[in-house]
Amino acid sequence: MSELDYVGKRILRKDGPDKITGRAKYTMDMRLPGMLVGRILRSPCPHARILNIDTSRAEKLPGVKAVITANDTLGIKHAFVETPRYPPDQYALAANRVRYVGEEVAAVAAIDPYVAEEALHLIQVDYEEMPAVFDPIEAMRQDAPEIHPTHPKVKEPFKNIGGKTYSGWGDVETGFAQSDYMREDRFESHLRTHGYLETQVALASFEPAGKLNIWTSSQGPFIKREKLARTLGLPLSAVRVQMAYVGGAFGGKVDLYAHEFCAALLSMKAGLPVKIAATREEVFAAYRHGQPLIVEIKTGVKKDGTLLAQQIRVINNCGAYRGTGVVVIFLAWGFVMLPYRLPNLKYEGYAVYTNNPPRTAQRGHGAPQLRFALDSQLDMIAEELGMDPVEIRLKNARQPGEQLPNGDNVHNCGLVECIERAAEHTGFREKHLQNRSVGTTLDPLRRGIGIAVSSYHSGSLIYPNSSSAVVKMNDDGTLTLMTGAMDIGQGAETILSQIVAEEVQVPVDKIEVIAADTETTPVDIGSWISGNTYVTGNAAREAASVVRKKLLDLAAEELEASPEDLVLDNMRVYVAGSPGRALKYRDLFTASIRKRRGDPIIGEGHWRTMQDVPFHPSLATTKGRWSENYAFDAQVAEVEVNTETGMVRLVRAVTAHDCGFPINPLLVEGQIDGQISMALGHAFLEEVIMKDGRTLNPSWLDYHMPCIHNMAVSESIDVITETYDVGRSYRTKEVGEGLVSAILAAIANAIFNAIGVRLYSTPFTPEKILRGLGRIK
Amino acid sequence: MHLPRFTYKKSDSLEETAQLLSRYDTGACLMAGGTELLPRMKYGLAMPEVLISMKRSPVSSPKIGSDGDLVLSPLMTLRAVEGSSLVRENAPLLSEAVGLVGSGEIRHMGTLGGNLCQETRCLYYNQSHSFQFKKPCFKRGGDICYSIPKGKECWAVFMGDIAPALYSLEAKVKIMSRDKTRIIPIEGLYRGDGKKPLILSPHEIIGEIFIPGSNGLRGSAFSKFSFRGGLEFAVLSVAAVLDMEDDGETCRSARITVGAVAAAPVRARCAEAGIEGKNISDRSLSEAVRQALDEIRPVPHHGQTSGFLKESLKVQIRHALSVAAGRVKKD
Amino acid sequence: MKKKQGRQLIELAVNGEAYELAEEPQVTLLEVLRNDLELTGTKESCGTGECGACTVLIDGEPVLSCLTLALDCRDLDILTIEGLAKGGDLTHVQEIFLERGAVQCGFCTPGVVLATTALLKATSRPTDYEIKKALEGHLCRCTGYNKIVEAIDKVLTDGYLVNE
Repeated sequence: MSELDYVGKRILRKDGPDKITGRAKYTMDMRLPGMLVGRILRSPCPHARILNIDTSRAEKLPGVKAVITANDTLGIKHAFVETPRYPPDQYALAANRVRYVGEEVAAVAAIDPYVAEEALHLIQVDYEEMPAVFDPIEAMRQDAPEIHPTHPKVKEPFKNIGGKTYSGWGDVETGFAQSDYMREDRFESHLRTHGYLETQVALASFEPAGKLNIWTSSQGPFIKREKLARTLGLPLSAVRVQMAYVGGAFGGKVDLYAHEFCAALLSMKAGLPVKIAATREEVFAAYRHGQPLIVEIKTGVKKDGTLLAQQIRVINNCGAYRGTGVVVIFLAWGFVMLPYRLPNLKYEGYAVYTNNPPRTAQRGHGAPQLRFALDSQLDMIAEELGMDPVEIRLKNARQPGEQLPNGDNVHNCGLVECIERAAEHTGFREKHLQNRSVGTTLDPLRRGIGIAVSSYHSGSLIYPNSSSAVVKMNDDGTLTLMTGAMDIGQGAETILSQIVAEEVQVPVDKIEVIAADTETTPVDIGSWISGNTYVTGNAAREAASVVRKKLLDLAAEELEASPEDLVLDNMRVYVAGSPGRALKYRDLFTASIRKRRGDPIIGEGHWRTMQDVPFHPSLATTKGRWSENYAFDAQVAEVEVNTETGMVRLVRAVTAHDCGFPINPLLVEGQIDGQISMALGHAFLEEVIMKDGRTLNPSWLDYHMPCIHNMAVSESIDVITETYDVGRSYRTKEVGEGLVSAILAAIANAIFNAIGVRLYSTPFTPEKILRGLGRIK
Repeated sequence: MHLPRFTYKKSDSLEETAQLLSRYDTGACLMAGGTELLPRMKYGLAMPEVLISMKRSPVSSPKIGSDGDLVLSPLMTLRAVEGSSLVRENAPLLSEAVGLVGSGEIRHMGTLGGNLCQETRCLYYNQSHSFQFKKPCFKRGGDICYSIPKGKECWAVFMGDIAPALYSLEAKVKIMSRDKTRIIPIEGLYRGDGKKPLILSPHEIIGEIFIPGSNGLRGSAFSKFSFRGGLEFAVLSVAAVLDMEDDGETCRSARITVGAVAAAPVRARCAEAGIEGKNISDRSLSEAVRQALDEIRPVPHHGQTSGFLKESLKVQIRHALSVAAGRVKKD
Repeated sequence: MKKKQGRQLIELAVNGEAYELAEEPQVTLLEVLRNDLELTGTKESCGTGECGACTVLIDGEPVLSCLTLALDCRDLDILTIEGLAKGGDLTHVQEIFLERGAVQCGFCTPGVVLATTALLKATSRPTDYEIKKALEGHLCRCTGYNKIVEAIDKVLTDGYLVNE
């Protein structure tokens, strides 16, 4: 491998100067002439029939330009998942019935927020309240109120089942029969919000000629365009979704949201641009958060710690509509399958409708909940067997080249090295033994150390399944990269520019990026499902390779040399060994126009994960291939438990991760730090507290997202398993999601190591610690 | 979020404000720093017709009065209080408490008076009620309490950090209106009613704050228990003052005040009495903690159970007393 | 709807420029900056003073513009993020924030940079605790604060003084 110039370097983010000077425009900052303010009327009832909506008084209010209800829509349902088995189940505006507090019932557009809000007060909605249910276990009972009919393909006598995943391999009964030790445990996780600083916001402008332009704070424009066009009844080509800078997303801005639909429809009705921005309170109380899962695990092992069989049931409190509820019960299966070898599995996952707001993807999308359960239980098993937590993990960890039960291959899996290096770096074994032997001292502060592992897929097949990119050369030899990918803060534009820079040898700051515009940029999977660097990265690399090849071919002709003897370097080509025989890119550009019938040197590239597999695996049965690319990690948490206050502090988090080849170590570190922080919020601080479908803490004040006092020391070890070679596709792995997971279980295990208290539910509040210690009865 | 409409009046002195308040009767509201009132207005919890702004009005500097009291203007920003060496020397407990309020920006903006006059809080109350909890609770003029739905009481909690410190410092406040002024002990400012926590009539404001000087050995500590250690209100707070005999070991008098457990700060008077006249020791402090737990029953609030709050109360009182004892200056 | 009190004229200076504006009483400084002056670098993430995204410097002190009435800003000197870099030259704090990767989505960045700038002006060698106290009101979801703290530490080891 030759020396790399741009890839693998700590190159500063391209959008940095814009952001640090306040010049960066976010959707929230955008205005258009004549723009109206949109506001949404929300249901106060968790479950009710809508008997009548009277908007006449609102419509008459001076300054109101449009009012919409379900009657103004085409009545087309949408959902994140839309398959024959899971047909869409949600209207963009509630029709006839509301199923959660905060559900969108009507919307207005007015000349200012005061008029808009007064108009909302003037809309009269008559509701007939119906019985509601909020707890998934209660919702599954036969006598529970019916929110939607139970899915027809679910045979068990459970009510309100929106979806079910059933899978497995081997034979668990045989596995259990062969086991020396078995245990059953139940773990619960709780509701957390994403914590994006820019609230949800969309600006729609419907042009008289029939074109809908919409800017929305999202994670990718293509899925938004598809769902908007369909629900609004517009041709796909009549909808143009564009990006502005995005103030964070973390999974929360993927699916179509009612405010986007409403802004568009209001603009169509009013003939003026309409912007709808959610308040922070609306985001907390009416938008989608992550998924609280109940995870029941029965595990059988041999005396030496080898996993033999697991029977797992996952119950997802899915909220009033499917959202990604049926995705997470599929993914949960995958997170069981990934890091440890397991010969026998029986897996069932249920997405249960309740009268809570629907849920959506959230960084890790089920992995934190599953790893918390699985790696907590594995530590409990190790404890029973008298094994060291590191040994039991090494015993079961997947090895390079292993085939997964679904047919996928883990390829260059660095998990074993991750475990070993994380343990070694932290002096894990010694500390783990030492902490346990502290016994009763007067010091109320106890130290604990814990380890866990995780694995995450890097891109999977889901609409639009593909990424493509265009790289074009400009007259002066600089490049423009056109990509549908979205920089949501993770640094996508910088990473992609680095990849292009390496292939074509044009410095990153000489590459202009045009991104995430359904009209001018090619299709992209979007900044979710963790495929950005790998899938979009390879598409950009391919496009850049085409440009590279054109440059080399042309230069070979011009310099009368063989292409193999040519060297690309900083926007020029020279003959190896004779740097004087050189041509600048701008001269090659001119030459190409002249000699290649006007070819301005444009390259196109596309990439798709699982290139030879036509479909996403079945959500219901998991059959089919999932991903060709898995990242692995081991994380160690060192905690300090105050046995008097019950407060736990994450003192140090060490991440050893196999992210393939890190394109930009600075950005990789940023992803790791952010995930550690999010995980410690998950572990100790954050909870959307709900009672009867209503949110009790819809503010930054009462929802405790970590502040600077809660910062933990975060160290990382790169276990590099892949190489980057110019002109060759690569398996750079994901780094933006998988690392919120193992650390959560590692914290739980560290708490046990410190004080001998095993926690079965998140968050690990001081109250739970004190109860565990017997200080609160 | 935006503010509802109001009429704006600027006032440059407390006297002028008192005049304006009485002129506009119940429709007017004083705003000093704005960090308490404006969020309430954005949530629709306060809708004054007239807002009297004293933002950046002239503020008199802290001084020692003729009777030895430290005299503070309620218009001082928390940041100014925190930075005042006079306050640090004469009432270190107050400096400590002020430094733990809100966030850096809140301390730059918020004022002493505003902090003392803040409303009681509750998860159900402190939101906009546009689609949640629309039916008004007691505090919003209705007849239910969502938090503890039994009886006829509002269970909102007073969560300010400064008041407990001033309780333990035996501060007094001057209450003024257009027509009269009166000086009352700080305890007199609070009614102990979640629905209407302050004794002030709509025409009244705080004019001055007096903190008696200490003439002897003293140790004090403010302990604020919160999950993030910043930015938020206390789960509970403890302000402890130990005045000592000249021997430096015997407690002459003690004041222990607990915040965020009720609609007003609560003095642990039995615990105080129990410790007075005793040597400060592990044993006497533990005994004081035990007594405090007997006399204070924290109202469950902000998602915390009374069991957890009681245990936390124990730990925080003990912590505050130990720190206060450790700070007694002996020379 | 409540009756309107009319607009009132105010003069204020933003980033060294003097402005004369007519504002209604309920308008906040944040709204003036974003809507009237189109200085959208100042962000709103809650509007109730709980996140720090709307922080600006008034007479050098960090304040929440979402909880500041425009009419209370008469004759004041306001510095927003747009006013920090002079003629395109980033301040040292800005440069180091970029160099150390302290910016991700960037939505909290203007507030954090201004609060940091104010801190370093007021306290030339702040302790770790003072840094945390100055930034405790600034929520950042992306960075976990690690690289923000690292950047500030770097500014301090550079021995750089903010007063220039």
